[in-house]
Amino acid sequence: MTLFTVAWRYLQGRFVTSVLTIVGVGLGVSLIIATFLLTRGIREGFIEGATDYGLIVGAKGSPTQLVLNVIFRMDAPMPNIPFRAYEDLQHDPRVEVAVPVAMGDAYQGFRYVATTDAYFAPFSGRRRAPALSAGRFFRSDVPEQPTYEAVLGADVARRTGLKLEDRFFEGEEMAAYPLTVVGVLRATGTADDRAIFISLASYWEMNELSRRAMVKPLTAVLIRPKRLSDLAALHRGWNVAPDIQAAFPTAVLLNIFNLLSLVEDVLLVVLGAVVIVVGLYLFVTMYNATFERRREIATMRALGARRSTILGIVLLESCALATLGGLAGILGGHGGAYLGAALLAARGGPPTHALAVNALQPVTFGAVIVLGALAGLLPAVLAYRTEVAENLAPL
Amino acid sequence: MIPAGPAVTLRGVRKSFPLAEGRQLQVLDVEHLELAAASCTVIQGRSGSGKTTLLNLIAGVSLPTAGAIVVRETVITTLPEPQRDRFRAEQIGYVFQTFNLLPAFSALENVMLAMLFGRAVPRRQQRARATALLGRLGLGARLAHKPAQLSRGEQQRVAIARALANNPPLILADEPCASLDAATAREVLAVFLAVCREEGNTLLIVSHDEAVLGAGDRLLDMAEINARAGAGA
Repeated sequence: MTLFTVAWRYLQGRFVTSVLTIVGVGLGVSLIIATFLLTRGIREGFIEGATDYGLIVGAKGSPTQLVLNVIFRMDAPMPNIPFRAYEDLQHDPRVEVAVPVAMGDAYQGFRYVATTDAYFAPFSGRRRAPALSAGRFFRSDVPEQPTYEAVLGADVARRTGLKLEDRFFEGEEMAAYPLTVVGVLRATGTADDRAIFISLASYWEMNELSRRAMVKPLTAVLIRPKRLSDLAALHRGWNVAPDIQAAFPTAVLLNIFNLLSLVEDVLLVVLGAVVIVVGLYLFVTMYNATFERRREIATMRALGARRSTILGIVLLESCALATLGGLAGILGGHGGAYLGAALLAARGGPPTHALAVNALQPVTFGAVIVLGALAGLLPAVLAYRTEVAENLAPL
Repeated sequence: MIPAGPAVTLRGVRKSFPLAEGRQLQVLDVEHLELAAASCTVIQGRSGSGKTTLLNLIAGVSLPTAGAIVVRETVITTLPEPQRDRFRAEQIGYVFQTFNLLPAFSALENVMLAMLFGRAVPRRQQRARATALLGRLGLGARLAHKPAQLSRGEQQRVAIARALANNPPLILADEPCASLDAATAREVLAVFLAVCREEGNTLLIVSHDEAVLGAGDRLLDMAEINARAGAGA
């Protein structure tokens, strides 16, 4: 028998209280872990999904909405811009790469992104170009002869179960334009995982408005300048146009991060309150347990237990509760973060890398054990000071 | 081997408790008391005569206001508290009137608990010794039972096994049969005395129970031992 056995038996002896305390601590820790994982996951998701393009040209309106819509596939869709804007940019000597993007309907909630093969091409300064895990990219078809080929993002393939050569459409009105899966992208951890890529020709033919009006609408053009110093001039030049704006993705991201920081500050205050509540809950549990156990403590002292031994037993109990609560909380927190990330993804939220293991888990775990020790300290001192002779008789 | 000197010696031991207005209530005043090694002494006395206080002082659970208590050549009244605790764990067994078993622990664990606080029994032998003791006391089939699952007589036998766990030279018993019916009291007392005699323990029982009074080698009256108590209040 060891001191830990003694502490453990006491925890078993008040099983319901112990389990409730562990659940209480676990819930608090879950909340902390899930909140940190999600807020940091959202931030990292934005960073990971950030584009390598320096400028986005789209319809006049909110630059944040333009970036969220085009890069992260969030927020409300933007109005269209004419194909001429893309042609002008293509011929602009300051532009190295210009990629047209048109976004429209969705299949099972996954947005169609019409573009050219330039979208998948590597270029100088690009961190990672989308790569295929199966099949091939769609053909660069001519406007008059769309091929209706689709390349699926990794999440789309996984969630819809679509495979190479499968044909699909959503809604009766689209039955005349079934798409065929020709490729599946590798997972990138970005919004591309949740997109269905098709050619512009296919998109325009599938879009009733463009079919009737013989127009070629685009949502945006992604720009990579030849020199960084040209960015400001390009930005200024396109923003004087009446219906078109140019937005810096990095500036929008900074705004989003500033907003996230504010949210994180508020959450920190809430989590601070959670820590206090968890600590108080542990303290009350241990205080009551120690108070009700004065006679047993006196008996152990009469059997030869030192005051420090009694102190150690109470602290071990408190730390064991905190440890089990901490472990449950870390597991629960990851579960909560996973569910939260899935919920965000299902609602078109930002890509979230919520299950990263790093210093958060060990630091939180250590902090919970320290909290357990602190919460058990006063009850332990109460036990330490228990007078033997006074408490040996039945209370 | 039984040591030549007395197992316990009390010299000029007084115990008083503070009252209001700076007065003192003296509950114990023992001029001289010796217990022979390997003997069984029974001290009788009415309730409130200071019997439990006397046991607590000999056990080192509380300290006398004055005087010296020597247990097997160790003056326990001058020992620092941690050493007194260690001394008590290894040299003294204590049997309580209401057993004082720990309800969350099995019979076996209650006995092993006493060994945790001293170094008298090596850790690897603790389970075997506790099992053997409980077996000798007729509880071989009750090792895993919690106190609530045992009869009162069985509970007191577990308490006796716990007092014997570290094979202490001195065992103190405070009204060991007061919570038991007459038949169970006789049965438990017989087992208790038999085991102590076999082990060669010095036994001091305080009781006002008729069944216990004739059980020892020596019967003392608390009124005589504590003749001067209350005089100095």
